[in-house]
Amino acid sequence: MATHTHTAAAHDDHDHKPHGWRRWVFSTNHKDIGTMYLVFACTMFFVGGTMALIVRAELFQPGLQFVDPQFFNSMTSMHALVMIFGAIMPAWVGLANWLIPMQIGAPDMALPRLNNLSFWILPFAFMLLLGTLFVPGGAPAGGWTMYPPLALQAGDSFPMMIFAVHLMGISSVLGAINVVVTVMNMRAPGLNLLRMPLFVWTWLITAYLLVAVMPVLAGAVTMLLTDHYFGTSFFAASGGGDPVMFQHIFWFFGHPEVYIMILPAFGVVSEIIPAFSRKPLFGYESMVYATAAIGFLSFIVWAHHMFTVGMPLAGQLFFMLATMLISVPTGVKIFNWCATMTKGSLSFEPPMLFAIAFLFLFTIGGFSGLMLAIVPADFQYQDSYFVVAHFHYVLVPGSLFAIIGAVYYWLPKWVGRMYDQKLATVHFWLSAIFVNVLFFPQHFLGLAGMPRRIPDYATQFADWNMVSSIGAFGFGFSQLLLPFIIIKCLRSGAPAPARAWDGAHGLEWELPSPAPFHSWEVPPSAAVIERGAEH
Amino acid sequence: MPAAARIAITPHCSLTPSGAWTFFLGTCGVSFGIAALLTLRGYWPILAFAVLEMLLLGWALYSSMQRRHRSETIVVTDDRVEIELRARNATVRAEFPRHWAQVKLRDDVSPLRPTRLTIESGGRSCEIGSFLTAQERQQLAVRLAPLIGGMAESPPLPSGQP
Repeated sequence: MATHTHTAAAHDDHDHKPHGWRRWVFSTNHKDIGTMYLVFACTMFFVGGTMALIVRAELFQPGLQFVDPQFFNSMTSMHALVMIFGAIMPAWVGLANWLIPMQIGAPDMALPRLNNLSFWILPFAFMLLLGTLFVPGGAPAGGWTMYPPLALQAGDSFPMMIFAVHLMGISSVLGAINVVVTVMNMRAPGLNLLRMPLFVWTWLITAYLLVAVMPVLAGAVTMLLTDHYFGTSFFAASGGGDPVMFQHIFWFFGHPEVYIMILPAFGVVSEIIPAFSRKPLFGYESMVYATAAIGFLSFIVWAHHMFTVGMPLAGQLFFMLATMLISVPTGVKIFNWCATMTKGSLSFEPPMLFAIAFLFLFTIGGFSGLMLAIVPADFQYQDSYFVVAHFHYVLVPGSLFAIIGAVYYWLPKWVGRMYDQKLATVHFWLSAIFVNVLFFPQHFLGLAGMPRRIPDYATQFADWNMVSSIGAFGFGFSQLLLPFIIIKCLRSGAPAPARAWDGAHGLEWELPSPAPFHSWEVPPSAAVIERGAEH
Repeated sequence: MPAAARIAITPHCSLTPSGAWTFFLGTCGVSFGIAALLTLRGYWPILAFAVLEMLLLGWALYSSMQRRHRSETIVVTDDRVEIELRARNATVRAEFPRHWAQVKLRDDVSPLRPTRLTIESGGRSCEIGSFLTAQERQQLAVRLAPLIGGMAESPPLPSGQP
């Protein structure tokens, strides 16, 4: 331990920040790391979106038009991996980095160096994953679920995909542990758990889910690797292993993963709706308990992804009923948001538009999920475009709309400038219209019997596929507005006040705009916490 | 033994050591419970990853709880004011003649740092209580002022101070 006698006055430079590339590469500042996560997620969103457009271009009409079936399958698999692990999850981690310390009155994340590491693992993971496009045998084409024995038949891409998934998992776990420790130990004095903003609550539960399930994914993919290269038979039927068990293990990770992608969206919507309704959130505590209940239930419903592989009737009943049970806490949330808006002084700025669209469209995804939970019905829908429509309704107008809404809500706080709200409203309407043109017809296709993951199809499916592809291109190109609006805002946006939205509450709105490089070096006072905790 | 007043302050940690243990053991229970069930069915690599992850979580909690070891101790004796600022890897000490020292609470340093509390003498100063809230800092200033006194003052120290 170094000891020395203090002789001179210490004057900290509280706005000191490093410059140049070192600021980013060696950053331990939660805002800089949050920005890097968000930029990375945006980049991956366009990479994954391009893959989706290749898929939709091929499906524009029956027959093989542009790509061979192997590449088509690679595109569907890679699109999923890139969007889940490269776009949605990093976007949430980026938002958590930006917002959690500001919202709990902490100077930074609890473990800033770990935070830097968890971000910088990601680009390498995705270099490895995207590098599979250029190796013999092409990119993984057996689906993002990596089911054996199909996944084991991949070429040189197989070990690259496994190591990429490991790296993504390490990055996620490091980020989750940092969030858990930050929220548990770094809250300002007086900010007890039931006064935390909903975004912090939902992230705390998300992080807990990540910590609980990531070893399962890591173990599962490691066992795939050892089955392929080291002669083990965990999932190889020829050696006494059980390939179906991989599906159980994978979905034990995979279903909580779905909630990992959607719970923070609930948090964001719970922040935006009260702000633009100019009312406190209805039923704050019930929202917290509903989130926790959803988190718990997410561990006991995994087998609804695999009703058709065969399981005892009791198992089918249990997983069906447990899945349906999730609609109870989810319904609590939906009704609470509606109650918050009831008799509120509503205004419809872009964040609110995205939040309301989330409310409607996520509910559609929830209802189709309920349909899929019914075992005999699922036997019909399994592996059809109905499933594709369901999870895209949950993830695109669900997670993605909440992410975009969050960006439009907090952007003035981040950059200190107001963006072009008219253009953002245009962005919203284009997104809301095209997302439905893109995904709603897929319900019809699925109900009519079109299987997923096929590059060619019977002519009876041609019309709705054409509509869906038109929606895909419209949705994809309209998203270019988002970076344009952000760049325009950075260059020429009008200065934003500290409280950019008059109904916004929370500690982050007590900070000046843009939020200073070091926020809450000194804990916020009781009065500030009191003001901020008006949910 | 000269009369002395001693004030020790530490940063706020929202997690107590017992709370940290409870949280850690609870999380271990969930993680190892899942891993144990799968290990019993032969899928032991999951347990290995669970152990690694829990070690990491334990280290992260331990590192964060180290904040508790940061402390500032102000000892006021008849003729001296001694300040010890203790961080994880370093200790800084400052010493002032009590007769010529004074407590200063400056306002409006910045919107995020509304006040700054220092003990000053002869052109030297030492900031204390930077991790306190503005109200706590003010309370500390109110408590220190009669102990240290103004410039060229040495008020009598209360006897029996801990």
